[in-house]
Amino acid sequence: MDNVTTDQAAIRPIDAPSAVVRRSPATALSARGEPFMWALGAALTIGIVMVIGFLLFVFWNGLVTFIPKPVAVVTLRSGAMVAGEPTRPELYRLSPDAIKALPPAEAAKVAVNGGYGHRTLYRIGNYDLYNEDFRWVSDHDVDKIDYPEEMVFIERLEWGVFVGRIRSVKIGDRDLANPTPKDPALVAAHKEARARWQTIRRIERDLIGRVNHDLEVLRLDVRRAEIKHGPASTQAEKARLAEAAQIPSLKSEYDRLTGEAVRLNSIAQLNTVTLADVTGKEKVLPLSSLVRFYPANNLSFFDKVSIYLSRWGEFLSAEPREANTEGGVLPAIFGTVAMTLLMVLVVAPMGVITALYLREYAKQGRLVSIVRISVNNLAGVPSIVYGVFGLGFFAYGIGAHIDDLFFPERLPAPTFGTGGILWSALTLALLTVPVVIVATEEALSAVPRSMREGSLACGASKWQTIKNIVLPRAMPGIMTGIILAMARGAGEVAPLMLVGVVKLAPTLPFDGYFPFVHLERSFMHLGFHIYDVGFQSRNSEAGKPMVFVTTCLLIAVITFLNLAAIVIRSRLKRQFAGNQF
Amino acid sequence: MKLKTFAAVLATNAALITSAGAFDLDPALPTYKSVSGISGQLKSIGSDTLNNEMTLWAEGFKAKYPNVKIEIEGKGSSTAPPALVEGTSQFGPMSRPMKAKEIEAFEKKYGYKPSSFQVAIDALAVYVNKDNPLKCLTLQQVDGIFSKSRKGGLNKDITTWGDVGLTGEWAAKPISLYGRNSASGTYGYFKEVALFEGDYKDQVKEQPGSSAVVQGVASDKFAIGYSGIGYKTADVRAVPLAVKAGDKCYDTSAENAYSGNYPIARFLYIYVNRNPNQPLDPLRAEFIKYALSKQGQTDTIKGGYYPITNSLRLENLKALGISAN
Repeated sequence: MDNVTTDQAAIRPIDAPSAVVRRSPATALSARGEPFMWALGAALTIGIVMVIGFLLFVFWNGLVTFIPKPVAVVTLRSGAMVAGEPTRPELYRLSPDAIKALPPAEAAKVAVNGGYGHRTLYRIGNYDLYNEDFRWVSDHDVDKIDYPEEMVFIERLEWGVFVGRIRSVKIGDRDLANPTPKDPALVAAHKEARARWQTIRRIERDLIGRVNHDLEVLRLDVRRAEIKHGPASTQAEKARLAEAAQIPSLKSEYDRLTGEAVRLNSIAQLNTVTLADVTGKEKVLPLSSLVRFYPANNLSFFDKVSIYLSRWGEFLSAEPREANTEGGVLPAIFGTVAMTLLMVLVVAPMGVITALYLREYAKQGRLVSIVRISVNNLAGVPSIVYGVFGLGFFAYGIGAHIDDLFFPERLPAPTFGTGGILWSALTLALLTVPVVIVATEEALSAVPRSMREGSLACGASKWQTIKNIVLPRAMPGIMTGIILAMARGAGEVAPLMLVGVVKLAPTLPFDGYFPFVHLERSFMHLGFHIYDVGFQSRNSEAGKPMVFVTTCLLIAVITFLNLAAIVIRSRLKRQFAGNQF
Repeated sequence: MKLKTFAAVLATNAALITSAGAFDLDPALPTYKSVSGISGQLKSIGSDTLNNEMTLWAEGFKAKYPNVKIEIEGKGSSTAPPALVEGTSQFGPMSRPMKAKEIEAFEKKYGYKPSSFQVAIDALAVYVNKDNPLKCLTLQQVDGIFSKSRKGGLNKDITTWGDVGLTGEWAAKPISLYGRNSASGTYGYFKEVALFEGDYKDQVKEQPGSSAVVQGVASDKFAIGYSGIGYKTADVRAVPLAVKAGDKCYDTSAENAYSGNYPIARFLYIYVNRNPNQPLDPLRAEFIKYALSKQGQTDTIKGGYYPITNSLRLENLKALGISAN
């Protein structure tokens, strides 16, 4: 019956024209809700455009960075030569002195353009020779620009890129004069040199590392025994004897390995390449110190793709070099993912248990309201405050005590008493726990009352009801909270700078040495890496594209983590779909 | 004061380098040779000016001793002394000497003063945009540009480029100021030497890193800023400086930094906690030897600073009680 009356009410104005006349047009418009609909639509559009625009900007800049560019050889009017990748052009106003120095034809051109001229920034590389990486060249000074086929773009282990020609290559006792970069003998020798370099690194890092680690463990055993039982005690004496018994074998192993590394190194020194820059200045380098080289002006499409992919491969799988400006970001990817997962491990149970108690057990009253308001306010505290708290409470407070109790033999070097991945995860867990609590409470309250009552009526206890009926049904909502917490945590940098993120972490928090997981270690983080490369690196011009690449990667990593959580959530949802009473 | 001590220390070394080009190492610097049995952990907390240097040294040192772990944190020189006092770091790189108060806090805890050694020379540069035609500034003018108290003795405030003698489109344009945040040693050193201990203007846009200052100046045509010479890019130009009006202007080249002619060259330091009655542990001693060796000082050049000389290296090692061999 009710329905019929409302329908009639809605129809009436159309049937009765007099009603329309009485309304002003504005009322009619707002009554129909159209301005609001348009406003909502516009707001959505602006939001979408901003998000997509931002993503396109980041991804465009990030994805083009690794494309190999041609190398121009610019001959200036003065006769000087500049070789490099053209990076970006710029319009600028010439100073009166500069115009005076130009030949009349060029000066006239400038005058036509209203005093403005063009210039181009070239990435000239060869920092060890020129003491600069980039140079501006005014178009008015240019005599001609060539793209000679033999120009080579070389990425090196040290000193950044080299732009020039390959003069000669010495492979053992063989000499190659003026080889092209695609010369099979050169390519094969380079491959072999790189493989040798990898072997040397493996020996130095893994095998010698193992010996050094064993030596350190023995030393710490002695020290622990001395601290615990006194230097003159029998236990300390025993530890010293054990150390003395093992040292000779470790020492000989160490000598054998270093001997092998030295031998390989001496072979590596025999394979050298002589490079010459555009003016003919020469530089001799071991072949193994070239990461990648290619004839920049003589590349097929296939070559370009393979260089592009190999650069991405290096970026994703290698360690950083040259104060983080080159090489890869593997430790940072690893640190970001490990820290975020660790944070989820802490924040999920903490948040869910709190919300369960607040919603299911606590007597709703003033106290619970205060707790709820406090939790909501916690979300508004600036993140750097959490960082300060984490440093003071976790690292300097709890960590220092852990060191005193469990790691006295390592003091004065702190173990847990300084920033580390555990403290970072705990700090971020504090930061994100309100999100999980609020989302879980919402999810719990959305479980229909009828289901709880049904369960209780069947004789289940309160805990059995929560465990078997409420929690599973609230799971998708809880997952949403965790996803939000994860996204927030993975992108946070400010508090981490205080509690454990460093510019260069020598080791990952997980490795092959007992106890395999080292939660006390500092780590690298993609967010901090972006800050570091963008604002702290010596060469900010070269750092800029890397900022975009790293940002792309950070967005991709967070998307991946979220997708994983979303997949889990939709599985859970499907499990309970159509499962209602 | 500071300038004189700097010049005096270098005067003894000057003879060695007068003929050296911009980036030639002192040939007397020895090559570093590794010794056996070095492993352990090092942590460095301090200057962000030295951040890249520390990272380069750490990379080089790790190549020699694969099982040494070095962590680098660089948030500003002022973070170095507390970390050394707390014992959370073994090295405290600083771009200025410690203040009396910081030394006092250290001494209170340990009963002896912290030790330091010089690792590089930096010509603190005053940057302008690459299109700026400015030829030279005196320290008094720099003071007038950056300081509101003008202790350098200039009688009027400098706010536009016309005030420092630029003409044409520049004359009426206000000067936009970029500088470092107060935790930075660069901030402190510039205040002491270029501002004659005066106060910065409130308009100075404080940046979180040395490179951020350079980027600010690069993108702002009418800007001026100060930062280490190592952060120079193609978009900015370092202005030559003179001590006072009428004096010769000197640019930021290595020779001028070494001779002390460039008025705001400075040493970069690393502080360590060393008990004077005990030798340094081998790990730290070897790291110091590496940083001051030929390889370490090549890294200094790579980071954009000027290397130290062998005689300075010997002095440093002697002061730290490390044998030079």
